[in-house]
Amino acid sequence: MAQNDRLRILIGTRKGTYIVEGDRKRRTWKVGPAAHEGSEVYHVVADPRHPGDVYAAVNNAFWGPQVQRSRNWGKTWQEIATPLTPRRKDRKPLFNDSDPTTPVPRPLNNLWHIEPGLPSEPKTLYLGADPHLLFRTTDMGSSWEPIESINENPSKKDWAPGAGGACLHTILLDARNPQRLYIGLSAVGTFRSEDGGQTWKPTNKGVEAPFLPNKYPETGQCVHDVVGDAADPDTFYRQDHGGMYVSHDRMEKWIRIGKPLGDDFGFSVASPAASPGRAYFVRLDGMARVTGEGHLQVHEWNDKTRKWRKLLSPTAFPGHFGVQREGIATDNLRPAGIYVGTTTGQLFVSPDAGKTWKLVPFQFPGIHSVSIANPTRGGAKR
Amino acid sequence: MKTSRSHRSSAASPLEVHLDSWLREFGPRGNEKVEADSVNQLLDVLEERYPRLRFKIRDETGALRRYVRVFVDGEDVSATTGLTTSLSGAQAIDILHSIAGG
Repeated sequence: MAQNDRLRILIGTRKGTYIVEGDRKRRTWKVGPAAHEGSEVYHVVADPRHPGDVYAAVNNAFWGPQVQRSRNWGKTWQEIATPLTPRRKDRKPLFNDSDPTTPVPRPLNNLWHIEPGLPSEPKTLYLGADPHLLFRTTDMGSSWEPIESINENPSKKDWAPGAGGACLHTILLDARNPQRLYIGLSAVGTFRSEDGGQTWKPTNKGVEAPFLPNKYPETGQCVHDVVGDAADPDTFYRQDHGGMYVSHDRMEKWIRIGKPLGDDFGFSVASPAASPGRAYFVRLDGMARVTGEGHLQVHEWNDKTRKWRKLLSPTAFPGHFGVQREGIATDNLRPAGIYVGTTTGQLFVSPDAGKTWKLVPFQFPGIHSVSIANPTRGGAKR
Repeated sequence: MKTSRSHRSSAASPLEVHLDSWLREFGPRGNEKVEADSVNQLLDVLEERYPRLRFKIRDETGALRRYVRVFVDGEDVSATTGLTTSLSGAQAIDILHSIAGG
């Protein structure tokens, strides 16, 4: 089978990167050797424009964050340019509440999400980082340009971090319009730009912030994950601290859909390219932050019928599993494959849109992120 | 800030720098001879010779990373005089990662 004709599950864990190869039937899986051993890898993503290129957001507790790239499906890796916050003397002051005259030094903390650009911009990628930072490269990561409208935003002094830090974890593009971008930050909410990232509009209308005195503020929501619908680029599915939502108007307003499930807390959501109008959420107990009711749960939202379907029986995978914001992914095959990685290192796979499930027989370190490199042929020139 | 040593004379012999085996991925493979008056200056020299060491030991604000420890002649200065520590009379520097993680 040709290198690019395989399906790969790209996994970021607490202790490194793993690439799992499968066939189109998604029945057998081969786990490759670990890379970036000992580092927290928050996100691993393939660049579909350049088959074989894989990027990893590597966060080493000792030596700091690094962007790493492989050009051969993870066989070898190389550190490429890692963006930096401006040096202190060049940085505009962000003020400390207790001492408003003292600028707070804020080095780059963890890297959270790498988003390859549109096919029309084959050398562009975006990077989201802590503390609430957004970068763009137009030379495939040889250099990074800070998006000042976010990185130096005057209201940033009021932006609170979530438990995982001040992370910018979601970056979404619109294939119809390269000037349109969406981002999600904890615990700030979502924003949309219509001018390539020069200005941003908060897009959190209808999303509850149960942890604030004002339950429906303009910003301050703790968005956990957002995905777009493959068939309708105006539709988005959102897992927020305050529940599960859908928007049909480019995030102008959000409609809560999770209430029929009771506790609709969770961190992650995915929507498969082959099944438009469907979204998969991993429902967690809002207090314990693990799957409630003692078993793994994945729920399918059907946006046409506006109904939920529970995909796993209580006896399928009993236990209390944690699933983080990049912990669920879908492929672009038909029927859709669903992949769920847990904080205790299990990788669950359904090759048939949730009908049957298997546990990949390998114990990973705690999983931060799961993404899919779909089988492909060809690709853009570098 | 108080420094535990006086300034190093320019006639002093170079210091020997030992890097953690993990750090050798970014810097010299073996021990390195460096002339410097302070830990900060020593790191400046090392980073100039080995650019991949930049931001591994100090972050971009110039602060020593949280889990990096610097020993001057066997004495851990990371939490005391830190990067401003004078290297006058010193002979050996060890830069190691601390015991952390799980």
